[in-house]
Amino acid sequence: MNIFFQQVLNGLTLGSVYSLVALGLTLVYGILHIPNFAHGAFYMVGAYISFYLAGSFGLNFWLAMLCSAAAVAVLAMLSERLIFHPLRNAPALHDMIAAIGLLLFLEAVVQAIWGADFHRLPAPYTQILRFADLTAPAQRILIIVAAFILMIGLQIFLRRTTTGSTIVAMAQNREGAALVGIDPVKVSLLTFAISGALAAVAATLFAPINLIFPAMGHLVILKAFVIIILGGMGSIPGAIVGGMIIGFAEAFGAFYISPAYKDIIAFALLVIILSLRPQGLFPSEVR
Amino acid sequence: MSILSKMKSLAAGVAVAASMSGAAFAQEKINIGFTGPLSGGAALYGQNTLTGLQMAAAEINQAGGIEVDGKTYNFEIVALDDKYAPSEAAVNAKRLATQYNSPVIFTPHSGGAFALQEFNQQDGFILGAYTSVPEMTERGNTLTLRIPPSFAGYVETFVKTSMERSGPKLAMVGGDHDYAKAWAALFKPAWEEAGGEIVAENPMSYNKDTDFYSGVSRALAASPDVMFVGGASEPTALVMRTARELGFQGGFIIMDQAKLDEIDRVINDMSQLENSIGVMPLVSDQREGAKAFVERFTKENNGKIPGTETSYMYTALNAVAEAMKLAGSVDDPKAVMAKLSEAYGSLSPERNPASIDSVDEKGGTNARIVVAYVEGGEIVPVDSVSQ
Repeated sequence: MNIFFQQVLNGLTLGSVYSLVALGLTLVYGILHIPNFAHGAFYMVGAYISFYLAGSFGLNFWLAMLCSAAAVAVLAMLSERLIFHPLRNAPALHDMIAAIGLLLFLEAVVQAIWGADFHRLPAPYTQILRFADLTAPAQRILIIVAAFILMIGLQIFLRRTTTGSTIVAMAQNREGAALVGIDPVKVSLLTFAISGALAAVAATLFAPINLIFPAMGHLVILKAFVIIILGGMGSIPGAIVGGMIIGFAEAFGAFYISPAYKDIIAFALLVIILSLRPQGLFPSEVR
Repeated sequence: MSILSKMKSLAAGVAVAASMSGAAFAQEKINIGFTGPLSGGAALYGQNTLTGLQMAAAEINQAGGIEVDGKTYNFEIVALDDKYAPSEAAVNAKRLATQYNSPVIFTPHSGGAFALQEFNQQDGFILGAYTSVPEMTERGNTLTLRIPPSFAGYVETFVKTSMERSGPKLAMVGGDHDYAKAWAALFKPAWEEAGGEIVAENPMSYNKDTDFYSGVSRALAASPDVMFVGGASEPTALVMRTARELGFQGGFIIMDQAKLDEIDRVINDMSQLENSIGVMPLVSDQREGAKAFVERFTKENNGKIPGTETSYMYTALNAVAEAMKLAGSVDDPKAVMAKLSEAYGSLSPERNPASIDSVDEKGGTNARIVVAYVEGGEIVPVDSVSQ
């Protein structure tokens, strides 16, 4: 029972992190209509900023996370303004090339500043919680709880507030949204900011049980791509459910079958789901 | 960044060449090639090996270079990034051999080294392979120097000590890269032959996985006494910490790629490493050459602590310099290769922190291997453990 519970916990942890990253990716898809390859770099930069603030300034974990989210939000907005906005009338391929360029650029900058070394963000809560014969490191519970709060908050923001609805509206129909008086510039910036902040939060939450290094974004971004394809490009519930599916598939696949096959399981799931539902699990509101 | 640094080194090279041509006592330059991972997940490892070469070159140049056949030569390290890919290593090596006329090309990974062995004899350069895969020197390549001692030397001590101290049930959770597979292939039969039992075999992808929870708990379900772990130090540390978090009380056998001191820097708690066996970290090595090297390196690098790979590479380039002097040639690889063993033997301890005394006829180095065991939160040499 304990072992089973541990896999559930692990699936939830991985799923939460993947979902947060995929959410940002899916939101920006509504604006760019391509997957933003630079999203993995935002994730990595987020981890580095938290690491720097918590390490060099001794900032509290949560405060560091907030600052990092704000900084990466600004970085994401800058990239929208300086790179993606000027390319809005160019073919989608140009956006894609620009995104890859941004990814490589950010990685090189981080490696130039902090070097290729592995870094560690100390865990704010190192206790190991025990209920009966079940054990759970506090940091993992923290990741799950924080991710769920964030996902619920985002859902409320997008569905219940006017500002949030403008993001959904613009993802659904850009011209239509502009016709009813939604400012596309403002909405694009807002979307990029949210996506950057989500990546930074996910990275900061995950960093204490993982390592920080320039190539760390590659690991999660590949998974996030699979997730948004699985869940339906641009779909918000799709990103959350897709993240959980991949997280659980990895956790249970690695335990009950073999770690060697866990990626095969995740990708086999992708193929099966797409062959049954080519539009993804949740056909998106985005065209 | 690599393009920038390449351009810089190119520019520097041009400037040096321009200023040299005017000088009456022109110093010649020997380009030492390096191809290794300088970006991506293994960038740190690549950088560490490169640092060893650069440090040796800087010291040799500062002392006035080397004098061969009446001419004075300086060393220049030309480093190219291969992102850990054998195919790119081969392309880089071709370039280093033709464009830079490198008489020696170093590479810090077995995949790259095997790729270079395909053409190093034809192209006439010595391959300096930083890998302890025993097969490296078993393929009849006459221009290969295997820089660290073969890992086969560790196996017996690891098996004996761990089984005695922790028990016979072993779970194999090493990496799934080629190097780890080669280790596992040698280690498994040795463990079984010594009367042990392999209860779980669960290699994991140390460089690609985001989380080791599932893989480790699967291995622990077989209730092992000892776990075999190993990949790069940092992910290895995460694997070990996960095992302790999941309640594992037994010992660890750590493949030589990971270093105890680097693992400790991640875990930050030596008591979690209790009953681990692995290679002796350079910083805990009490031998004269190693101590002096650590001191010098730390002073020059703002308190950074060097790893074994840096000291081996440092020693290797010093030996190459010595061998060139002994051979009286800088561009006859066969002659230089033939003198390497003598060159290693003639190095003073300060220039030989890896304590290598000779090179065997196949090109493998001989060194006294020191093994470390963690006992009572301290790293102790294994001889004193078995007493």
